[in-house]
Amino acid sequence: MNKKGNILRNIINSVLPILLAFIIGGIVIACIGENPLETYWILLKKSFLSSTGFMNTLHYASPLILTGLAIAVTFKANLYNMGVEGQMLLGGFFAGIAGAYITGMNPLVHKVICFAVGILCGMAFALIPALLKAKCKVNEMVVTLMLNYAMAKALEYLSTGVFRDLSSGYVATPTIQESAMFSRFGRSRLTMFFVIAIIVLIIMYIVMKKSKLGYELTAIGKNPEFAEAAGMNVAKKTIILMLISGALAGLAGSGYMMSEQFKYTLSFSGTPGLGWDGMLIALLGGHSPGGILIAAIFYAALKTGSDNINMYTSVPKEIVALIQGLIILFLAVKFISERTNFSFRKKSAKKREEAA
Amino acid sequence: MSMIEVVDLTKKFGDFTANDKISLSVEEQEIKCIVGENGAGKSTLMNMLYGLLQPTSGKILIRGKEVQMNSPIDAIANGIGMVHQHFKLVPSLTVYENILLGVEIKKGKSPFVDSKTEIEKVQKLIDEYHFELNPLDKIEDISVGGRQRVEILKMLYRNVDILILDEPTAVLTPQEVDDLMVSLKNMKKQGKTIIVITHKLREVMELSDSITVIKQGKVIGHVKTKDTNESELAQMMVGRNVVLTVNNERKEPIADEVIYEVKDLSTINDYGKEVVSEISFKVHKGEILGVAGVEGNGQSELVKLMTGLMESTKGTVTFLGKDVTNDWPAQLRKSGVGIIPEDRYAQGLCGDMNISENCIAGYHGSPDVCKRGIFDQKAIRAKRDKYIEEFDIRIGDLNGNVSSLSGGNAQKIIVARELSAGPKLLIACQPTRGVDIGSIEFIHKQILKFRDEGNAVILVSSELSEILSLSDNMIVMYKGKISGRVCQDEVTTASIGLLMAGIQPGEKGAAHE
Repeated sequence: MNKKGNILRNIINSVLPILLAFIIGGIVIACIGENPLETYWILLKKSFLSSTGFMNTLHYASPLILTGLAIAVTFKANLYNMGVEGQMLLGGFFAGIAGAYITGMNPLVHKVICFAVGILCGMAFALIPALLKAKCKVNEMVVTLMLNYAMAKALEYLSTGVFRDLSSGYVATPTIQESAMFSRFGRSRLTMFFVIAIIVLIIMYIVMKKSKLGYELTAIGKNPEFAEAAGMNVAKKTIILMLISGALAGLAGSGYMMSEQFKYTLSFSGTPGLGWDGMLIALLGGHSPGGILIAAIFYAALKTGSDNINMYTSVPKEIVALIQGLIILFLAVKFISERTNFSFRKKSAKKREEAA
Repeated sequence: MSMIEVVDLTKKFGDFTANDKISLSVEEQEIKCIVGENGAGKSTLMNMLYGLLQPTSGKILIRGKEVQMNSPIDAIANGIGMVHQHFKLVPSLTVYENILLGVEIKKGKSPFVDSKTEIEKVQKLIDEYHFELNPLDKIEDISVGGRQRVEILKMLYRNVDILILDEPTAVLTPQEVDDLMVSLKNMKKQGKTIIVITHKLREVMELSDSITVIKQGKVIGHVKTKDTNESELAQMMVGRNVVLTVNNERKEPIADEVIYEVKDLSTINDYGKEVVSEISFKVHKGEILGVAGVEGNGQSELVKLMTGLMESTKGTVTFLGKDVTNDWPAQLRKSGVGIIPEDRYAQGLCGDMNISENCIAGYHGSPDVCKRGIFDQKAIRAKRDKYIEEFDIRIGDLNGNVSSLSGGNAQKIIVARELSAGPKLLIACQPTRGVDIGSIEFIHKQILKFRDEGNAVILVSSELSEILSLSDNMIVMYKGKISGRVCQDEVTTASIGLLMAGIQPGEKGAAHE
C-alpha cells in the first residue's frame, strides 16, 4: 500500500509541473494573440504523430537518456555528480578528435575507438572528484559543479587553438571522418546511437535493480552505517559509481558527436547543455530507468516541436524554452513531498501551542 | 514542602513513550541525582523541566504551585536553570560577556553596554561562590572545567534556585570533577537545589542526598543515598523484571578448543581517549562468554573492534588459529563470524529496504544468491521464506519495508540471517534490546541451541539477567577494562553488581562510606 502511494506520489510530482508549465505557456501564447491549443497540437503532431518527427524525437532523446542515467545512478547512492556536463563535453570533444584525425578505418572499428576514447575521457574526468570524495571527504557536489566551468574553458582553448579547423569560418574542430559518422535511418535524423542508448538503459536497469552492485549502492544511499556494517567498502563503491557516471556521460558526448554534431563547436551541447538537461530528466523521471526514458523522449519532443512551431505559427520558438524553464521551476516545488504529513503535523502542533 | 515536584509526567514521541508517568520530588537544598542508562529518558525529563519539551500529560509543581513552561525563558522565570552537556557559549567573547549575554546592563537609557558594572557584578558572583575564574578571560582560552563554571554562573546570575546539570562530569578531567563536586556542595549550602543527571555511580554516591533511578522511561525507585550502595544502584539500573524461562542446562562440558582469542586489545575514540584498554579473553568451543557492565564502559567499542567497525591501536584477535585483527566485516562473515550488531536500525538492518533485501545483507555476495554479480531473485525469496518459517517472523506485507516490522520481528531477521550462514562464532550485542518478551525467549533459545551445536558465542548485554541466565563464563567491564571474571556457578547478582561498579570484591567496605 505504501509502495503504491509512493508511485502515485512520484507520478503526480512529475506530471503536475508539466501541466502547470503548459497552462502558463498557453496563457502566454494567448497573450501573443495565437491559439494555444493549435500551437500545442502542432507541437504534438510534429514530434509524435508523424513518423519522421517521432524518429527525430527519439534521436534527440538518445544523449539525454544517457546523461539522465549518469545523474540518476549517483543520486541512488546519495551522491551528486553535477559534473555530467563537463564529463560529456570532454568525452564528446576527444571522440571528435579521434574521429577526425584517425583516417582510413573500418567504420565499425572507428566508431568503437571513438566511443572508447569518449568513455575513457568521461571516466578520467569523473575520477578527480571521486578520489577527492573517497580519500579526503571533499564534497563532490561542489567539485563536480565547478569543474564543469573549468572544462568548458579548457575545451574552448583547445578548439580555438590547438585543434581548430582553419578552413571553417567559425571556431570548430575538424569534421569527423565519414567512417566515424552514424548513418541516418531514412529521412529522419535517427541513427544506431539510439539503439545503443536503449541497450545501455536496459543494462543499467539490470545493474540498478538486479545486481549486487545496485543493491550495495542502494544500501549506501539509504543507510551508510548499515552498508559499512554489512561489509561494503563505501569509499571503493563511491569511486566505482562516479566512474560509471562519468562513463555514461562520456558515452553521451561521443554518441552526440558522431550522430549529430560531427565537430566540436562552442555551442556543442546547446543551452542548457545536455548534462544540465540530464539533471532535469533524472528529476522528472524520478531517478528510475523507465522514468528517464519517458522523460528524455518528452524533453526531446519539445526540442523537435519547437522548430515546427516556428515554421507553422507566428509563435516564437522560445516559447518552448519558456515551458522548459517553467517545468524546472515547478519541479523544484515538491507538490506532494514525503514530508507532506510532517509539515501538516508541525502546523497542528503549533496551533495546539497557540491554543494552550 | 518540596521545591520541585513532578506528578505522573508522560512524554510521547509518536508511538514511543520516552517518559511514562514519572513522579518524583526534590526537597529544598538537596542534591538529587537521576541515574539511568543511555536512552532511559533522563534527558527528556530534564528538557521538560527546562521548558524545551512540553509534557504529553502530567504536572510540574514548583513550591507546590503548578507551572506551565513553554520555553527556557519561562523556566528561568520560575527559578529553574540548566547546564547542558554541550556548552552554549560564544568562544570569542569574554567570561562576563557570555554571562550577561541577553541581559546586558545599559548605561542609563543609552544603547551602550556598561562594561564596568557588568564586570563588577560578575566578579562579585565569582567571589560569592568561590569559583576560580577571571571575568576578562576569553572563553576560548579557558579550560573545559572553567567553561562549565561559566555556564553555572550564567544560571546563578539569573537568580535560579534550582539548577539542573546534564551529565556534568562527562567532559571533565578527574581533578575538575573533584572541583565541581566541591562547588556544587558549596552552592547547596548557599540555598540552591541541584538536580544532576548522570550514570556514573561513584560520583552519585559522593555527591547526592537522594537518588531516583529511571529505566526505559519509568521510575524504578527512589532511594536515600545513605541507605544504598553502588552495586545496588547498578542492579537497579540494568535489572529486568521479566522472568526468564529459558533452560540453560548444558549437555556437554565446555571443550578445551579455543575458538576465539582476544589479546591486549586497546583502542581510542575520536577524541583520543582510550575507551578499550588491554582487554584479553578466550572463548572456547561450546561456550557462551557474557560481557557485562553498565553501559558506556567500553562494551560498544569492544564490539565495534571485534566486528571490524573500529580499528585497534594495540593487541591481536585470533579466530580459529587465524589472525583476524582489524579485518573488515565482510572478511569476518566469510571466515565464519556471525554478527548481531548493537543498534539494529543503524548497523543491522536498513529500514528503507524490503525484507528480502535485508535477509541477504552482509551475505549478498555469497554464490547461492548472487551469480556473476547478478542476484537470483528466486533464491533470495526462498531464503526469506525459509527464515520467516524457521524463525517465526511475523510479517504483514511480504514486500514491505523492514521499518514496518516490530522490534522483535526485525531483530529476528538479523538473528535468522546471521545464524543461517553457519558461523562458528556469534558476536551478539544487546540481542534483545527493545524486543517483546516472546521474541526474547525465542532469541535466547536460538543462542543456546547454537552453542549446543558446538559453537562459541560472545554475548554483550547491559541486561544483567540476560547475561546471568545465558552465559557460561562472564567478564565484567568497567572504564574500558575488565574489572572481573566470573563463571556461572559461582556468581551472584550482588557480586557481579560490585564488579559493574568497579569495586573489587576485597574492597567492598569502601563503598559504604
